[in-house]
Amino acid sequence: MTSRITIDPISRIEGHLRIDAEVDSGFVSKAWASCTMWRGIENILIGRDPREAWLFAQRFCGVCTTVHAMASVRAVEDALKLQIPPNAQYIRNLILIHHALHDHIVHFYHLSALDWIDIMQIPKADPVKTSALAEGLSSWTRNSPQEMKSAQDKVKALAASGQLGIFANGYWGHPAMHLPPEVSLLGFAHYLQALEFQRKACQVVAILGGKTPHIQNLTVGGVANAIDLDSLGTLTMDRLVMIRSLIDEILPFVYQVYLPDVCAIAGMYPEWFDIGAGVQNYMAVPDLPDGSGSNFDLPGGVVFSGDLNVVKTFKTAADEEFRQAVTEDSTHAWYKGGALHPWKGETNPEYTDFQDNGKYTWVKAPRYQGRPMQVGPLSNILVGYAQGHALTRKWADLALDRISSAAKRKMTPDKLQSTMGRYAARAIRSAMLADLAVKHCELLTNNILAGDVTTHNPPRFPKGEIEGVGTHEAPRGTLSHWVVVKNAKLSNYQAVVPTTWNASPRDSQGNIGPYEASLMRNPVADPERPLELLRTVHSFDPCMACACHTFDPSGREIARVKVL
Amino acid sequence: MRKVRIAGIGNVLMGDDGIGPFAIKMLESQYDFQDGLELIDVGTPGLDLPLYLSGADALILIDAAQFDSEPGSVRLFRKSDVLRNPLGLRMDPHSPALQESLALVELMGKMPSDFLLIGVQGNRFDLGESLTTSVRQAVPRVIDAVLSELQRLNVSYCRAANARQPVIWWDPLLNEYRGNLLCA
Repeated sequence: MTSRITIDPISRIEGHLRIDAEVDSGFVSKAWASCTMWRGIENILIGRDPREAWLFAQRFCGVCTTVHAMASVRAVEDALKLQIPPNAQYIRNLILIHHALHDHIVHFYHLSALDWIDIMQIPKADPVKTSALAEGLSSWTRNSPQEMKSAQDKVKALAASGQLGIFANGYWGHPAMHLPPEVSLLGFAHYLQALEFQRKACQVVAILGGKTPHIQNLTVGGVANAIDLDSLGTLTMDRLVMIRSLIDEILPFVYQVYLPDVCAIAGMYPEWFDIGAGVQNYMAVPDLPDGSGSNFDLPGGVVFSGDLNVVKTFKTAADEEFRQAVTEDSTHAWYKGGALHPWKGETNPEYTDFQDNGKYTWVKAPRYQGRPMQVGPLSNILVGYAQGHALTRKWADLALDRISSAAKRKMTPDKLQSTMGRYAARAIRSAMLADLAVKHCELLTNNILAGDVTTHNPPRFPKGEIEGVGTHEAPRGTLSHWVVVKNAKLSNYQAVVPTTWNASPRDSQGNIGPYEASLMRNPVADPERPLELLRTVHSFDPCMACACHTFDPSGREIARVKVL
Repeated sequence: MRKVRIAGIGNVLMGDDGIGPFAIKMLESQYDFQDGLELIDVGTPGLDLPLYLSGADALILIDAAQFDSEPGSVRLFRKSDVLRNPLGLRMDPHSPALQESLALVELMGKMPSDFLLIGVQGNRFDLGESLTTSVRQAVPRVIDAVLSELQRLNVSYCRAANARQPVIWWDPLLNEYRGNLLCA
């Protein structure tokens, strides 16, 4: 018997991600991902000064402000073939690293941990046993029985009130939840601690960027940070020391808490390494350039059909092949036009209602050489692993060993091609970024101490038309901003965002996108409570760019699960 | 000294959703506040919001709201009004971020002891639009609500000696391109 599930966050003015799935004998047999809001924000930029585009681009989305700002300045610099000074690269890298660490920590603990941890099991846990278990996982100093008991007491107080407050609508007691109470308690205790450490990551962004959530220090050609080791109000040695001491506080949380937690929980849900592979074409762009802008600490490239023995490497931030290969297809999206290159891209809406076989989303279908691609930390890790990238292998092998020992089953890199693999990859990437935070902090400090205080090369705009693409390997995957500048004004602007790649609809050939493909054959134990589908969707860390934020005090339905 | 923070929430590129940041710009340009008072345009964060909700003794938030009233109506909410209802399903990091973030901050025991949310009923939230007239006209009432709360908290403020027109840098842009942006 086939039933249809629709998960649709409603009630607010703006749209969000909607998932439709047909379920046949307990497994998904057909899936659709739809974004219910028009994303035509690029049109605002046409006719503007390219030097200020990043200010607007960073308002595209409240979660991903920094990444849009960065891709925007890089796009204009690419069009101008403008090199930026080493200090500017390092300062940008430190901002990007800490933004990503913040984002990954929030994703695991605050966005998705409660898909795996059953809050209702926590009162049954023994805090002493929990603490002992934690000590077996890492040397983190905040795993004491008292710390665990204090976290447990918070849950007990909520449970005793007869209402679970904010947790009242969770899928507690769902048959797909099966962590021991002690692991649930440990995860929840760290859920509470995580807030402090994501804050520290934001502080680094704020010191360098001037302000969060909207950084102020970018400029086409570099950064606006003045460096003067003797002067207040500029980037001084004191501030560099402050950044380093924040890094020294964040690192243990990543190495001793986040990565071990993900490995332990993943190892206890080994079945999720066999679910949710989806589109097995992976793409990542190289990022975190050195001072010359030509070598990268994060590798980029493409892997097709899940074959980790064959990998195409991107040598530059916007490889020639990448420039040519990207199209956006609007066959099944509510726009006019067919498959267009982003420099020729149009954003002309053509709304129908939700049509299973026709148009059903505001997201276009980006394709690479005509193929759907999965992007995100998993792509980053797999592309690097396939290339033999040392830093990737160091942390991926360590994580796979830990997962294997928790699962009592050998986990190979191939197994990362799954729903749980996406969670694991994000933690692996965070450990890599933690190493790189130290490296780039030292690069910046040493370069300044060597006497280089340059942070900006001024842009000069030629007459006539130039094109550029700015890329960034953002927390959710490959981001690219494509600009056409004519006589120093923007004449086209297209942002191809990670969630567009992943939430892509079908294309003209009928190929489904990564969310849709990853939902295929997902188990669904209880169609009224489709926890399994949320696990797979959350594994991508969806972010429908440009949400607005209206507060609704009525408590009316925030999301609806409809089963037909 | 008590730490007081006033934060405006909203997307400045989306019509009436921009009321929070707009009000922050007005306050910044027209008033001087006692030391330690922080004014911040937080844009549209998702679960980053706890960072801006915690670590103050008193918090005043300004946000667009939906309470089925006339556009431009201003309504005040205290902590219990926000935390009364359970959270729903969340698909992405934006969805009910304010309520969830407050709940998280409360759970951690870091909730400011004084909390006020000033909600403004919006009218249109279309991409590339500026504030609608009714919401623009509500701005003085929003400012009054902020100032009354400051009086209640015994926080000192005065009209700025060098009061100036606020620089709403996103505003002319939106008006200029408005015609091209309306969704068919």
